[in-house]
Amino acid sequence: MSVSIVPTLKVLLPAARIALVALIGLIGGYYANAMFFPGTSPEQPIDFSHRVHAGENEIPCMYCHVQARRSISAGVPSVNKCMGCHTEIATDRPQIRLLASYWENKEPIPWVKVHDLPDFVHFTHKRHVQADIECQTCHGPVETMDVVSREAPVEMGLCLNCHKDNEVVHGTDCWTCHK
Amino acid sequence: MGAGGGFMLAESIKHPVEHLIPYAVPPEEFSSGIATWYNSICGMCPAGCGISVRTREGRAKKIEGNPSHPVNQGRLCALGQAGLQVLYNPDRLTAPMLQSGERGSGEFVQTTWNEGLSEVASRLSASTNNDGIYFVSEGVRGHLANLFELFMNELGSANLLHYDFAHPHSLYAANNHLFGERQLPYYDIRNSRYLLSFGADYLNDWLSPVHHGLGFGHSRQGNGDARGRFVQIEPRMSISGASADEWIPATPGSEGILALGIAQQILAGGNYQGTDADDWNAALATYSAAYVEDKTGVPADTVARIASEFSHAEPGLAIGGGAAGNHTNGVDTLVAVNALNYLVGNIGKPGGVVFNPDPVVGSSTAGRQANFAAMQDLAENARQGAIEVLIINNTNPLFTLPPGAGLKEALASIPLVVSLSSFMDETTAMADIILPSHTYLESWGDDMPQPGVGFSVGAVSQPVVSPLYNTRATGDIILGLAGKMGLGEAMGWDSMEDYIKDGWRNVYERSSPDAGGFDSFWREVLTSGAWGENTRNSNSVVIDKQVIDNIAVAEAEFSGNPDEYPFVLHPYLSTTLYDGRGANLPWMQELPDPMTSIVYGSWVELNPQTANEMGIQDGDLLRITSEHGSIEVPAVTFPAIMPDVVAMPIGQGHEEFGRYARNRGSNPIQILAPNMDAVSGSLATSATRVSLAQTGRRAAPVKTGGESRQLGRNIVQSTGADGDSAGHSAKLNSIPIVVDPA
Repeated sequence: MSVSIVPTLKVLLPAARIALVALIGLIGGYYANAMFFPGTSPEQPIDFSHRVHAGENEIPCMYCHVQARRSISAGVPSVNKCMGCHTEIATDRPQIRLLASYWENKEPIPWVKVHDLPDFVHFTHKRHVQADIECQTCHGPVETMDVVSREAPVEMGLCLNCHKDNEVVHGTDCWTCHK
Repeated sequence: MGAGGGFMLAESIKHPVEHLIPYAVPPEEFSSGIATWYNSICGMCPAGCGISVRTREGRAKKIEGNPSHPVNQGRLCALGQAGLQVLYNPDRLTAPMLQSGERGSGEFVQTTWNEGLSEVASRLSASTNNDGIYFVSEGVRGHLANLFELFMNELGSANLLHYDFAHPHSLYAANNHLFGERQLPYYDIRNSRYLLSFGADYLNDWLSPVHHGLGFGHSRQGNGDARGRFVQIEPRMSISGASADEWIPATPGSEGILALGIAQQILAGGNYQGTDADDWNAALATYSAAYVEDKTGVPADTVARIASEFSHAEPGLAIGGGAAGNHTNGVDTLVAVNALNYLVGNIGKPGGVVFNPDPVVGSSTAGRQANFAAMQDLAENARQGAIEVLIINNTNPLFTLPPGAGLKEALASIPLVVSLSSFMDETTAMADIILPSHTYLESWGDDMPQPGVGFSVGAVSQPVVSPLYNTRATGDIILGLAGKMGLGEAMGWDSMEDYIKDGWRNVYERSSPDAGGFDSFWREVLTSGAWGENTRNSNSVVIDKQVIDNIAVAEAEFSGNPDEYPFVLHPYLSTTLYDGRGANLPWMQELPDPMTSIVYGSWVELNPQTANEMGIQDGDLLRITSEHGSIEVPAVTFPAIMPDVVAMPIGQGHEEFGRYARNRGSNPIQILAPNMDAVSGSLATSATRVSLAQTGRRAAPVKTGGESRQLGRNIVQSTGADGDSAGHSAKLNSIPIVVDPA
């Protein structure tokens, strides 16, 4: 006497169909989110334009991000750094008036992070800037952006490929970044 | 639904929105991502180590020892490291408060500094009798001590007390008696070749443990091939005892008799270095080998051997403290121990007892220390209605005084109790007005460590972070009160910072002013975190014949009849919690006790033989009863303790003091008899007898280590002194020490 498993499978078939549709939906939903709500260019408290500053006026990155060469973090310019120029320049524009209001209240500007590495990644600007890595390698062509968005996929693959291409000593050791 | 799930999945793995908050105006020296280190002074215990605090973005991140400070030379103990948890403690007092319910009800309402200070100032001004104003502070030194003196002087009250539970009153008294020195000497452990310690747990809590640890390491390994020997005499093996070459248990309270027995042997056949042998021989006639063996339980040949080794070591150094100094004969015991140093001629020599110069600032502080007798007087005065205002600064006598002192009940008769503290401890909970103080990491201060290191040392403590809460530095609170009371003329400084800076101008002037002027000197002191001067104390020592004639150690007295209370209670300062001040720090709670590996909670140590006879197992909850009360605490068998002694760490058993300390373990001080040392009036903490009883319940302490024996695993291989292999049992002074057979 032979026993067939087909009857059993037949019972499971509707369930499998539902699961398949759900899976397709799941994947679709995931990418829909990633496509329409990527969060790569978040809204900032002031419409600051890197294109105007770094592009048109050719202000070097490290004029404002002064720490990048000697600290793990590049540093966001303090409000008085902004006011160093903007007490004179373009003082009548609404966004500059907004900046001035922060300054008058002696309040910091709550910028939203665009490039944010997870806490388990130890990244240091100092090392990379001193090795003459262009800022744009990771941050994308910031000098062309009115609103900064995350263009390069700053993920482990980007780090590892670059470390391999440049033959970084211990560049692929886990502990180089995860410590 | 699937699509919704996928959408939510993608949403949930997104990075949370983070902000980059720049400064409006960045402080000088600030670079984001780069640490700034500030040198300052540790405030966790009275040793006065220098610290270097790593700060980033205005937050203190790590505390290390300051390599430039002569006391700790870059090292720091666990309690010092845990200072960050004092700063960031979630149970800190954050604003001035007024008692709103009944005293002790714990009901407070917040107020402003202006109102709080005005209220205290008006009550101080309204006091009818100047001597009705009492100020009890933790032991402070330097300019803060001077400021308190000035303030109380202006108020016309002489009742300024410093109160620290662990202050070595007996040691101060003994040094004063024998050597005529008001300051503690520097015990040069570093250069000694033979250290004889009578009860001083000098690697754990005695005087300046970090400095001693450095000295001990050097004495062991820093002298080429000569390895310093070290003998520890105590009834329960402490951390120092565990590091000793030889651990000798002597009957509790007989340490002084043992010291005099050794002294007699030095005179009889050792390497005696004085010229007054006849006087000493006459004084020590009683302390024959047989007498000493009878009283101390230490065999006569051991006494003779130690006397010979100690006096021939050149230099040998004898130190005494801890439990040996906390008996009813504590001062006599420590006089006897100091006399050993005199007999072998190590006074003022490297590796011996080196006298310290008077501290540059605040030399009067040692005399302000309140002993148990003074605290009892305070309670008595309160009961009689003689105290109108009691100001308490960062000390917790309700926790560290035995109930026999009667302070808690006496507080009811004091109309106004003011507490300056960072935490709601037992004493602060009984206050009417709380003026919360900064932690030491937020305050200006300075310190002249006592005991010093043989020459003049000072250091300035600077704020390493901006104040976290609406608190004020203790000195600024006092200056604020003075301002409200119109004492501006005598105490006209704007802030503690000004006062200290002003005072350090004098220090600058005495130390051959350099071309840079005071400002450059001040910057240098702040940057290096330490200031030193090659001023030494050149006092020579001549001991009067009369002092020698009167040298004697009476037998220690104990509270409780030995039949009813068969065990001597040996309370000791906890490695992790010190006198209880570390109990609100989670790091210290979870740091295993080095001898037992226990974390969190209290325990009582008893000899395995005793436990066996009484049918007690590890983890049985015992009731420990003295004539003055009882507490419940789990048993831990501990091989290195005399069979008729039980030991308990001090530090747990808080009723207040925040979430980490409250209702954890029990406090052995609660059952101590109010016995005092006959000479110094300090609390004889080791003079209480207790009985043990099973409660029938179990409460196994949490340990990180499992089994303290080898169980045949041959982990620690050893060879006996006579070449025997391990696996023998020895009998040392009637304590059966069983070496686990491999």
